[in-house]
Amino acid sequence: MNRTKSLVTWTVFALLLLALFDRWAVSAEPEAAYAWNLPKGFPKPYVPANNPMTAAKVELGRYFFYDTRMSVNGKASCATCHKQELAFTDGRAVGVGATGELHSRSAMSLVNVAYSAALTWSNPQMKSLEEQALTPMFGEHPVELGLREGDAFLPMLRSDPKYQALFERAFPSDADRFSISNVTKAIASFERSIISARSPYDRYHYDRDDSAISDSAKRGEILFFDQRLSCFRCHGGFTIGDVTVSERDVMRDVEREGERHIEFHNTGLYNVPGLLSYPAPNVGIYEYTKALEDVGKFKAPTLRNIALTAPYMHDGSIPTLEGVLDHYASGGRKIASGPYAGNGHDNPNKDPLIGGFVLSPQDRDDLIAYLKSVTDEAVLHDPRFSNPWPLTK
Amino acid sequence: MLPRLSALRFAILAAALIGFVVVQTAPAQTPQAQSGPASLAITGDVPTPLTLSAEDLMKMPRETTSVTEQDGSKVEYEGVPLREILKRAGAPLGNQLRGKALASYVLAKAHDGYQVVFALGEIDQAFGNQQILVADKRDGKSLFGYQGPFRLVCPNDKAGARSVRMLETLEVVRLQK
Repeated sequence: MNRTKSLVTWTVFALLLLALFDRWAVSAEPEAAYAWNLPKGFPKPYVPANNPMTAAKVELGRYFFYDTRMSVNGKASCATCHKQELAFTDGRAVGVGATGELHSRSAMSLVNVAYSAALTWSNPQMKSLEEQALTPMFGEHPVELGLREGDAFLPMLRSDPKYQALFERAFPSDADRFSISNVTKAIASFERSIISARSPYDRYHYDRDDSAISDSAKRGEILFFDQRLSCFRCHGGFTIGDVTVSERDVMRDVEREGERHIEFHNTGLYNVPGLLSYPAPNVGIYEYTKALEDVGKFKAPTLRNIALTAPYMHDGSIPTLEGVLDHYASGGRKIASGPYAGNGHDNPNKDPLIGGFVLSPQDRDDLIAYLKSVTDEAVLHDPRFSNPWPLTK
Repeated sequence: MLPRLSALRFAILAAALIGFVVVQTAPAQTPQAQSGPASLAITGDVPTPLTLSAEDLMKMPRETTSVTEQDGSKVEYEGVPLREILKRAGAPLGNQLRGKALASYVLAKAHDGYQVVFALGEIDQAFGNQQILVADKRDGKSLFGYQGPFRLVCPNDKAGARSVRMLETLEVVRLQK
C-alpha cells in the first residue's frame, strides 16, 4: 500500500516538474514567426538575419515613424515626408527637413520598399533599410530630422513609459535596449511591413475580375507592355518597378555565388552644357561611381500608387502624369531657356529604351487609366500603417 | 415626272445622304481591350501555311507545363507543343531534319513587333527536344490582357524573354535548300 502511495506521489511530482519545464520552454521560445499575409504574386521579402521580423518591432517602428520628438526641434518625423495618404510621399517636388532645409530630391514612396534591391534614387550601394534610416536621422547635407549623437533623443526613450513598454516587447533580451541600432531595426521592420497589392488592377490581373478596371485601363495595360513603348522594361514585375529582391532571390544568389544586377537609367530629363549633363547635385549614380557614363542615371521607382505621388521624377520637375508621358513620348525633355536649357533627347548617357513614340489622344487616356488602376486605396487608410499616437501629439 | 437620269441621280444622292446620316448618328465605337489577334499564322517556308484559331488549338495534341513564378508559386500553362504546330504546317522535322534543313529556324513574332528565334534543331525530338508550348491557358483560364490570347512558354529557358506574349505569327525560314 505504502509502495503504491509512494509511486503515485513520485508520478505526480514528475508530472509537475514536466509541466513546469514545459512552461519554461514555451516562455523561452522566440516570438512566433511574423505573419506577412502576402497577397498572390508577392514573394516573402528578404529580411536580414540580424533583424528578424516581429510584430513587436513593427509596432515600435510605427511609433518612431510618427514621433516628431525624433527631430532636432520636435517639428518633423519620418511621416513628414512619407505621408500615408499620399502612398508615403509628401506631394512636394523635394523634401523639407525639420529646420526648413530643402532636400535636393523628391521623397520616394515606401510602399513595398521591402522588395527594393537598392534604396534611394541613386545610391547603388544602399541596400539596407536599417542603414538607410541613419541618413534622415543624422544626415547634415541636407538636415532632415537633425538628430545628433549624444542629444536628448535616447534619454527621452529611456524615460518615456510608452517606449519602455514597446522596447521591452520588441527587444526583450537586450541588456541595453535603448540604442540607435535598435531604433533603426524597428523603423526598418515597420517599413518592410508596408505592402500594397489591393489595387483594382490586382483584382483584374491576379483574381481575373474583369469588372475591376475599365476597358480604357485594360487597353492602357496592353500599351504599357507593348514593345513600342517598353514601359514594362524598367517598371516591371509585381512592384511595377525596378529590380526586386526577396528571400527566395537571396537564397538563389547565394547558390549562384552572384549578386543581382541593379540597373539605373538616364531618361534624357536634362542635357545641360559642361562635363556633367545633369544639374548638380543630382548627377545620378555618378555621385558614387565617378564614371562619366553614369551621369544622370537614377532608379526607376515603383509605379504602384503613382497617381498619388506627384510631382514626378527624382527632382519632382514634372508636375503631372500627362507631363511624364510627354517626356517619354518625345524621347527626352527639351528645356528651351534658363539655367537647365538643353535637349535631353541628345543626352549622351540616355538609355536606348528612351527612343520616343507616338501616342494618340485615346492612347494617352488609356495609359493614364491604367496607371490610375494601380492605386491601392486600402494602403492609404490601413490602420496598421497609420499614426498610433493620440491626435494631440 | 422626273427624267430617268435625274431619278437615278436622286436615288443615289438620297441613299448617300441616308448612309451619311446613319454613319454620323451611329454611337462612337470605343476600341475594346484587344491584346493579340484571335488567330495564329504559320507562314514562311512551309508547304502548308496555316491560320489556327483558339478552337483549332483545342483539337490538337495538348500538353501542360509548370512554371515557377517570382513568388515561388507554380502556375500551369496549357497548350499545343510548338513542334506539333510546325509539323502540321510541314516544317522539316523528324526524318526531314537533316543536311541543309538543319539551317532552319522559326521566327516567333508578337502583335507588338517583338521577335525571337528558335532553331528547328532546338525543338526536334532527335536534337534539342526542348518543350516549347504555344499556350492558350494559364491555370485553366484563357490567357487575357497583355499575355494573350496565345503565348510561348519555354520552361527550360533560364530567362523569360523568349516566352513571347501576344504571339501572332510563326514564320519558318530555311537558310539553305
